[in-house]
Amino acid sequence: MTDLLQLLFAGISQGALYGLLAIGFVAVFTVSGVINLAQGEFAALAGLVAISASASGLPLVVAVALSLLVVLAVSLTMERLTVRQVPGLTTLQSIILTLGVSTALKAVMLIGWGPDAAGLAPITAGTIEVAGVSIRSQELWILGIAVALTLLIQWFYQSTAVGQSLRACADQPIAARLVGISRSRATLLSFAIAGLVGAVVGVLASPISLSAWDSGLTLGLKAFVAATLGGLVSVRGALLGGVVLGVLESLTAGYLDSGFRDAVAFLLLILVLGIRARGGFTVAGGARV
Amino acid sequence: MSSARLAPGTGPVLYVEGLRVGYGKLGVITGIGFELAQGELVAILGANGAGKTTLLRALSGLLRPTAGRVLLAGHDVTGMPAERVAARGLAHVPENRLVFPSMTVDENLSLGAFTRRREPRGAVSADRDMTLELFPRLASRLRQRAGTLSGGEQQMLAIARGLMARPLALVLDEPSTGLAPVVVREIFEALASLRTRHGLALLLVEQNARAALKIADRVIVMDRGSVVLHGDASEVLQDSRVQTVYLGSGYPSPANAST
Amino acid sequence: MSSATTGVTGPIDDVRSAAVTGWRARRGDAVSLLVLAAALAAFPLVASTTLLNAGVYALIYSIAAIGLSLLMGLAGQVSLGHAGFFAIGAYTQAILVTRYGTHLLLALLAAVALTLVSAFLVGLFLLRLRGHYLALATLGFGIMVFVVARESEYTGATSGIFGIPKPLINGRTYDSPAEFFWLAAPVVLIGLLLARNLVTSRLGRALSAVNDSEVAAEALGVNTFRMRLQVFVVSAGYAAVAGALFAHWLTVVSPDSANFPLSVTFLLMAVLGGLGTVWGAVIGAFAVQGLGEILRNLIPRIVPDVTGEVQLLGFGIVLAALVVFLPGGLYELWRRALRALRPRRQTSMAALSAASAAKDGGEPPVDIPTLRAAAIEEALAVDRRVSGRGPLLLARGISARFGGVVAVDDVDLTVSPGEILALIGPNGAGKTTLFNIISGVISPLSGTVTVRGRRVDGRPPHVFASAHAARTFQTPQMFASMTVLGNVMVGAHLRGHAGLLAGGLAVPAIREERALERHARRLIDLVGMTKDTDTPVQDLPFGRQRLVEITRALAAGPDLLLLDEPMAGLAGPERRALSDLLRQLRAAGLAVVLVEHDVEAVLALADRVAVLEEGSLIALDVPGRVRQDPAVIAAYLGTDDDDDEVAAALQSDAADSPQRMPGE
Repeated sequence: MTDLLQLLFAGISQGALYGLLAIGFVAVFTVSGVINLAQGEFAALAGLVAISASASGLPLVVAVALSLLVVLAVSLTMERLTVRQVPGLTTLQSIILTLGVSTALKAVMLIGWGPDAAGLAPITAGTIEVAGVSIRSQELWILGIAVALTLLIQWFYQSTAVGQSLRACADQPIAARLVGISRSRATLLSFAIAGLVGAVVGVLASPISLSAWDSGLTLGLKAFVAATLGGLVSVRGALLGGVVLGVLESLTAGYLDSGFRDAVAFLLLILVLGIRARGGFTVAGGARV
Repeated sequence: MSSARLAPGTGPVLYVEGLRVGYGKLGVITGIGFELAQGELVAILGANGAGKTTLLRALSGLLRPTAGRVLLAGHDVTGMPAERVAARGLAHVPENRLVFPSMTVDENLSLGAFTRRREPRGAVSADRDMTLELFPRLASRLRQRAGTLSGGEQQMLAIARGLMARPLALVLDEPSTGLAPVVVREIFEALASLRTRHGLALLLVEQNARAALKIADRVIVMDRGSVVLHGDASEVLQDSRVQTVYLGSGYPSPANAST
Repeated sequence: MSSATTGVTGPIDDVRSAAVTGWRARRGDAVSLLVLAAALAAFPLVASTTLLNAGVYALIYSIAAIGLSLLMGLAGQVSLGHAGFFAIGAYTQAILVTRYGTHLLLALLAAVALTLVSAFLVGLFLLRLRGHYLALATLGFGIMVFVVARESEYTGATSGIFGIPKPLINGRTYDSPAEFFWLAAPVVLIGLLLARNLVTSRLGRALSAVNDSEVAAEALGVNTFRMRLQVFVVSAGYAAVAGALFAHWLTVVSPDSANFPLSVTFLLMAVLGGLGTVWGAVIGAFAVQGLGEILRNLIPRIVPDVTGEVQLLGFGIVLAALVVFLPGGLYELWRRALRALRPRRQTSMAALSAASAAKDGGEPPVDIPTLRAAAIEEALAVDRRVSGRGPLLLARGISARFGGVVAVDDVDLTVSPGEILALIGPNGAGKTTLFNIISGVISPLSGTVTVRGRRVDGRPPHVFASAHAARTFQTPQMFASMTVLGNVMVGAHLRGHAGLLAGGLAVPAIREERALERHARRLIDLVGMTKDTDTPVQDLPFGRQRLVEITRALAAGPDLLLLDEPMAGLAGPERRALSDLLRQLRAAGLAVVLVEHDVEAVLALADRVAVLEEGSLIALDVPGRVRQDPAVIAAYLGTDDDDDEVAAALQSDAADSPQRMPGE
């Protein structure tokens, strides 16, 4: 029983990270139709930058703040230099485009930090015993910050004019333009959100899962699966999807085989997508048939 | 509502000259020009495919004209993207209403005032009160999701949303589509009062010629991309060419339907 | 082959418009193949050892890239997990040869067969997905293969399979780079030949049409899903061959040799070369391999002590840059260069007439010769056994909703051979929705549609087409990357039978292709568009495009024709010409249903008129009576509830029909 609880808790905290990263996917996709495959790289980069900053003597808080800024700069630059440059970018094109960016980012990290993984210092070290279950205090931080950040993002979308304008873009893009909302500015903002969220996840995850040049791939893809479980359009759905995925993974690793842990996400992805298969026809010129 | 925006006698609110859109394809517009003054309601009529919707889209910035000029209160907005034209004071109530379906009526109205988000709260909420007075049905549905409203209510919401921007001119694309006659009447009365009591400039594209002719000051009839007829509403009502443009010759006009 | 659906757009491939008349494409292919063969033969003689080594890899990978290019360009689908199929091929070959001592060629057969089967199963499940979902699902698939290979003992876990011998064929061992290069080269050439054959075949033409307008292609009988699945499976087969060769070259197959970066590499090769042609895959493969070599040398010089896949930096940048600046890849550069060099012969008659049309707002009238009904019958090869045998189209109780709005409300419609039924009604009345339901573009909420006794409701449009029915669309759905001839030949798709195998081998399908082309040309002559036969349809003025669409719909010899606003955008004389054509078709025994707004033309042409308003049929009668129906008049002019006569007519209707507006 304690094993189960242990696995559950680990799954929930890992899942919270997937969910948080998934929010980045949702934020970008709903506004612009772009599926940003570099989302995972934002997290990996944040972890690595924080580790280097920390290693050069800066206190953890400053190192984290620095990594947030760096990743924010990267995500905004990415939007301006690539996504913005292709008017009428289709979702499929965006996959290939962001795949290119993510590949380049991976290589930059490989060249800059080498092939080995490293871990950032946790916010607070140590573990806590609750009902026989051993919980790392970092995991509690993860849960707390994930919940707080999600609430903050929800508030932003619900109660601020700018946040509402992003929802409007997603809801009805033509009408959004007609009330004066600029889609390109909305896209930029959504990439800012994606960058920030990615950086937070990277910094939170690093002490436990370690950061490396290629850790963004699996993390990003799993976050994408989580986002898809929520239909790619819902912030709450993304978080929930993340937790579900995290728990399933944890249980698989615990009861079946830890090597197949990664396969769970992709199996889930294929199943969910396969079941969601939608019909409909592509039409010349996008006209109504 | 918009009477505060412009001093009277400052020239036309909307001035269009030599407008051309596209070439060789459906919906082409070949050289259109007209004016719209404050406190005026101009109706644009024509059969399907005449280019009416294309015209509105070219005015509001959803489409780029290939030639011609569009001036909004004297400012050249030709070819500007839609969000900037909206910021300059043209509110376009699009075909199919296009409300924000997953957002509440209240949120839709707030978004209508997006370009005024830096203004003091008081002015915007005063306008909100006025639009709700104009469309009382919306007042009782503020928390409802816009996608669940009936067609008529969505149309009212789309118009109210446009008004929230305190525009110089309001252009509407076939607001009567799919609505029962009694609802059409209610909406058109509201439009007429916007023109009369608030001095707003309105451009109304319509297929429902009769309803439009009842409230319009002037009428422009389009056919296949160009203007074939224009003048005061009362003159046009009598003109047999309107019947032809819509229904082909030989179709009995309701005025003399005896067969 | 265009990449319109893939979205990584490519220009029109004018070899493709020649694909219609295969011999031109054949000649171009033959020359290119010879040139490539010569280049590949010479390569090992002039290249240095490092270059030759890189060349071997390039050649091996190019085979997978050809497959991927076929998938992306032809089927319009992106696979981000092609390394998965590569791995299945490589591992199968490796295991069979090392563990079971299977003969090399037999193992190759088995490896390919196994990969084809797995691709079939994967594709069956995943190809129903829309573009970007498929791409991500294949990504998942690729990673799953990688994980299984890494974890499973049977595949050697992280160490993989080693000790694979170099190829031993007919007593000769191909172990030096040059020999391996010369061994792999013919495989590439054959692969290219088969791919080109496929592109210019009936299958290729159909899929190109799908890329331009899936709904129109389906409505002409193209079974999109099945064809895409076939191409998906074929592309996996290519990857498997590449994997098997790879196994014999590297002599080791490990999970790392088939990981995600490899999938990205394949993608880059296909995209860099250009998706408008399979030749691009080979060029792309060499370019990417070369780029990788350069970067692997260069980067460690700038940043010392660096290890691993550093060339990914360049790959990533190039991939992103391609999407932004050169979506058509190197092939697009090549075509731009050609166009710049060739004198501007673009001022064709079509373009001139289009220009003058734009100037004075009119269009050169389309001249439809008056033909005897017999000539039309013959050209259309209408099955005379059907006509006069009762209704052709039976629609019963059709209803549909969009969101909360009722779009079509319990409509019944019957159409018999040799009649013209007009469907009129104000904007938004549901006419096009009804067409879409009848032709299978959308499913009805309730009701049935039978054509020639066959149920077609809720089935895809190609089922409708196979019941000898055809339709046109409100906005003409042109296959913009083809000529008039190409479009009409796609129209004749159901007259042909050549499938994947015949298409790949080309020779068995020659007679059928020639017959299809002859048939298409006859039809084009019939409607008076002979001089536009080889004009790209997108250069045609609107009125002619409409005519092409109708000609295309006639190409399969339908009994039932659904025309959605065929007169929209046509000038007076053209409308009359079109009406004449329709009368001739009626005389030949066809049933025609047309949606129209030109009420006058329609009242003169139709045998019966159906009037739709807000989804319901408010009248169905001969034109004379419909024209005087007060409900119809009210529907068109808009009502005014002060008008007593009209209000009374409507009130009696309203009493019968259900509430439609909640809250009104």
